[in-house]
Amino acid sequence: MPLSRDVYAELEQVVGPRHISDKPWILAGVRAAQPSSPMKPPSPEAVLLPGSAAEIQQIVRICNRHGIRYIATISSLIGFAYPSGPGTIILQLKRMNQLVEVNAQDRYAVIEPGVRHGQLRTELMKHGLTYPVAAVGPGGSVLANFACSSGDNHCQHGASRTNRYLLGLEWVTPEGELVRVGSLANDAGWFCADGPGPSLRGIIKGFVGQWSGMGVVTRIAIGLDAWRGPPELPTQGRSPSYRMRLDPACHKTFVFKFPTLEQARDAMIAIGEAEIAQAVLKYFNASAALLATESANEFWELWDSGLFQRELARPLYVFLSAWTHEELEYEECVLRDIIAEFGGADVDERIQRIYSDNMDFYILVGALQRVLRLGGGWAPCKLSGDSIGHMFEVGKAIPEFITPFIEQGRILDAPDNWQIIPLEYGHSAHIELLFLYDRNQPDWGKVPMDFMRASMQADIRNGHHGTMPLRTVAASQAIGALFSNAHMWANRVKDAFDPQRVSNPF
Amino acid sequence: MNQLADFRHTMQSCNHCGQCKWVLGPKTRGYDFAEICPIHMQFHFDAYSGQGLLHIAQELLDGELQYDPGLRDLVYSCTACGACDTNCKSIRDMEVLDTILALRAKLVEDGQGPMPQYARMAEAMARTHNIYGRPHAERAAWAGEPAGLSATTSQPAPVAYFAGCATSYQRPDIARNTVRILEAAGIAHTVLGADEHCCGGPLWRTGQIDAAARQVQENLDALQRRGVQTIVTSCAECFGTLRGFYPRVADFPFEVKHISEIVQEALDAGRLRFSKPLQTTLTWHDPCLLGRLSEPYVPWQGEIKAFGRHVPAKAWRRGQQGVYDAPRRVLGAIAGIEVVEMVRNEENALCCGGGGGVREAFPEQAQVTAAERIREATATGADTLVSSCPFCQDTFEDGLARQPGAMRYRDFTQLVVDAL
Ligand SMILES: Cc1cc2nc3c(=O)[nH]c(=O)nc-3n(C[C@H](O)[C@H](O)[C@H](O)COP(=O)(O)OP(=O)(O)OC[C@H]3O[C@@H](n4cnc5c(N)ncnc54)[C@H](O)[C@@H]3O)c2cc1C
Ligand code: SF4
Ligand code: SF4
Repeated sequence: MPLSRDVYAELEQVVGPRHISDKPWILAGVRAAQPSSPMKPPSPEAVLLPGSAAEIQQIVRICNRHGIRYIATISSLIGFAYPSGPGTIILQLKRMNQLVEVNAQDRYAVIEPGVRHGQLRTELMKHGLTYPVAAVGPGGSVLANFACSSGDNHCQHGASRTNRYLLGLEWVTPEGELVRVGSLANDAGWFCADGPGPSLRGIIKGFVGQWSGMGVVTRIAIGLDAWRGPPELPTQGRSPSYRMRLDPACHKTFVFKFPTLEQARDAMIAIGEAEIAQAVLKYFNASAALLATESANEFWELWDSGLFQRELARPLYVFLSAWTHEELEYEECVLRDIIAEFGGADVDERIQRIYSDNMDFYILVGALQRVLRLGGGWAPCKLSGDSIGHMFEVGKAIPEFITPFIEQGRILDAPDNWQIIPLEYGHSAHIELLFLYDRNQPDWGKVPMDFMRASMQADIRNGHHGTMPLRTVAASQAIGALFSNAHMWANRVKDAFDPQRVSNPF
Repeated sequence: MNQLADFRHTMQSCNHCGQCKWVLGPKTRGYDFAEICPIHMQFHFDAYSGQGLLHIAQELLDGELQYDPGLRDLVYSCTACGACDTNCKSIRDMEVLDTILALRAKLVEDGQGPMPQYARMAEAMARTHNIYGRPHAERAAWAGEPAGLSATTSQPAPVAYFAGCATSYQRPDIARNTVRILEAAGIAHTVLGADEHCCGGPLWRTGQIDAAARQVQENLDALQRRGVQTIVTSCAECFGTLRGFYPRVADFPFEVKHISEIVQEALDAGRLRFSKPLQTTLTWHDPCLLGRLSEPYVPWQGEIKAFGRHVPAKAWRRGQQGVYDAPRRVLGAIAGIEVVEMVRNEENALCCGGGGGVREAFPEQAQVTAAERIREATATGADTLVSSCPFCQDTFEDGLARQPGAMRYRDFTQLVVDAL
């Protein structure tokens, strides 16, 4: 349903002619298929670049009046950042990019949607501060990550998921009302997401966010942690061969291997109990090989050597980050005891060297986009959260459904390409299985759905909380029963807040 | 030369990660100066970026997008600075800039491009062999005065100084300074004189491949007649074109060196010495075609097999081996000079704003980027912005004229000659 000239004119009135377009060549920039999918998303009717919450309110009200769907996006890194149906306009919030405040005393930062991880992270370092940074690369929106989508990160062992770091926020409801949430609602500042007063954090973000299905978040505060590294990244080398050595007296990265998954799990739990380490993870092995190499050919040379499959089938990565050398020594001592107790051992020195040269964990995994280097056929699955023990159960069951896909040559032979990241020193954990497929194969377009279905069915069979309830009707209906039928509640909430169903409904 | 359709793999591999718009993570230094694509910075729509241009190219190839003057303007608003290409290649095996240039070539081939300004330039070049349409006879006038540049001859020699159009016609001082430096370093050399034609860069980068290839052939003949092995340039555009374009359209058995590399080698070997101090704090602007886009092009013909494996292996140009160190080391070796760095430097440098024909077709757009770069240069505390590209110089001097007193611009060769 193309926009009528009248509606276009109304919208143009709000944002100005420079900040709206329905020209086909402008729309071409936002409607391409992801390389992981053969499906082109529906073309938006127009792209708008609003400059303020007030403009968004007006746009949203126009949409409600005329029954036009809208979706808010920043980089559109993921499939959910596309119109869920025809007749949608895209609000790209890039112009709303103010770093409003860094409050070093109360340790929070207030940001608008267009502020990117690369910017915020390095700006905060100057203040001796940091926050849980997702591995999306420097161009990913911090606000989208904290308030609208996903939220796991590789340093959450010593921190947490982004939903827990979300503080006060400002929100344009699906019908266009501007709401200030948390302490902000009482004019008490940005420091708390939940009041005093009723909390709306669960409605807006919950575990994984609403993917623009619940209005538009226009400003948020996030909690900050201390940064023990230097005020500026000590980068050496040139793209793509950067090296990042933090002060080795206070920072150290280790990679250990374990004979069994159970031993890796127990070591992970024990590290949490000891309350040491900034980052602990059972990391992907094929992705690690992609991160360690600079071209697909180099990856293949490494992968064909079998080194990463041999050494990193059951690894634990540990990043220690301390204020003093003594503190680092203490943590290393405790860590070594735990690793020995649970039968762990150092990995091959060639692998360890990669991480000694690259200590900054954000940079280390921030190039995770390299997983797309193999042509773009990739997808993450599972993505849910539960206890560490449960997540390892989910991991152990992966061979049940992955083996046929590998045997039929439908995906890369990388059954151990999954990660478990604990959070808050082990109070819970996140799991993600990343599978890669080749776009040259005749049935490549069916692989992602077939694979995710098989993974989900395995979870349902086993009663596992492995699959994050996805934002598709079929998936949420299938998996909903494992999560207290949360999808039904989500529908009721959606009806209450978005009766016209215009905020990117699915 | 590759056609647009040869870049399907690149177009299909883009997942909108946005890295082509942002300084690479390890090089980011804070909230400010973090954007890298001059057109995205200004227009914000995704279509204005490497990512967007790939999607546009794909829709054009697939017949999903029709030509329109607005589409043409968008395609030519890109400065062809290659920041998107280098940044994408930090994480991918994709050819973003080559796709953008092939898109321009397709527009030209389909009679939809280039911008009228560049078409006029090509017409003039066919007659006069330079981008300005000035008499060819004036090309080597810079060598005639002042007297005493004895080494400025057109005799055979293993080293040739290739001056280029902008230097020959607009900035003769750079040519003379370059020759003075070569003489001081004791390097016997030749110039092409009346046999020198435009390097072809401005045609290549606006999609006019056939016209560019004709310039290439003329220059190669002249170089071969003089027995040249090494070509020296003082112009980034010529440098990047000789290394990046010539091997695409011809056998190119020459070594290409930038004058800063020559000076560095001469300093290291003790053949050149600086004797005069210069009191200045300067910041070096890495021209795109001297930095990230200057790696020699190695033709690749092969197949992209399952999971991105290139057979045979491909020599990627990822911007790692650009000329970054030589100018900094040389300038840093002059007594009294302090070299300070902009945030966006080396492979992550921000374009001056005028590249790829933008200064001619969209002068105001070019000035927005130039102003941003000057803001960044000023933030370093430097009083002088130094580079080695007469095109960047034009753009910056336009920008500095709008900000009297901000700082001054100097060409690399001027500082070197001043310090000798
Ligand atoms: C290779 C790769 C690695 C990734 N790694 C991680 C990771 O480690 N951790 C993680 O958490 N995620 C990860 N992601 C997922 C995702 O890309 C991120 O969550 C990211 O924050 C998205 O940022 P963006 O700027 O692209 O936002 P977009 O993709 O533009 O938006 C994300 C979602 O939020 C919605 N949205 C955006 N802004 C608003 C707003 N202001 N109000 C309402 N809704 C809005 C969008 O509609 C969309 O559904 C990864 C993705 C890729 C491709
Ligand atoms: S960096 Fe490459 S893959 Fe990422 S959006 Fe840009 S062109 Fe696409
Ligand atoms: S070449 Fe430069 S201006 Fe053009 S899209 Fe790439 S980064 Fe932007």
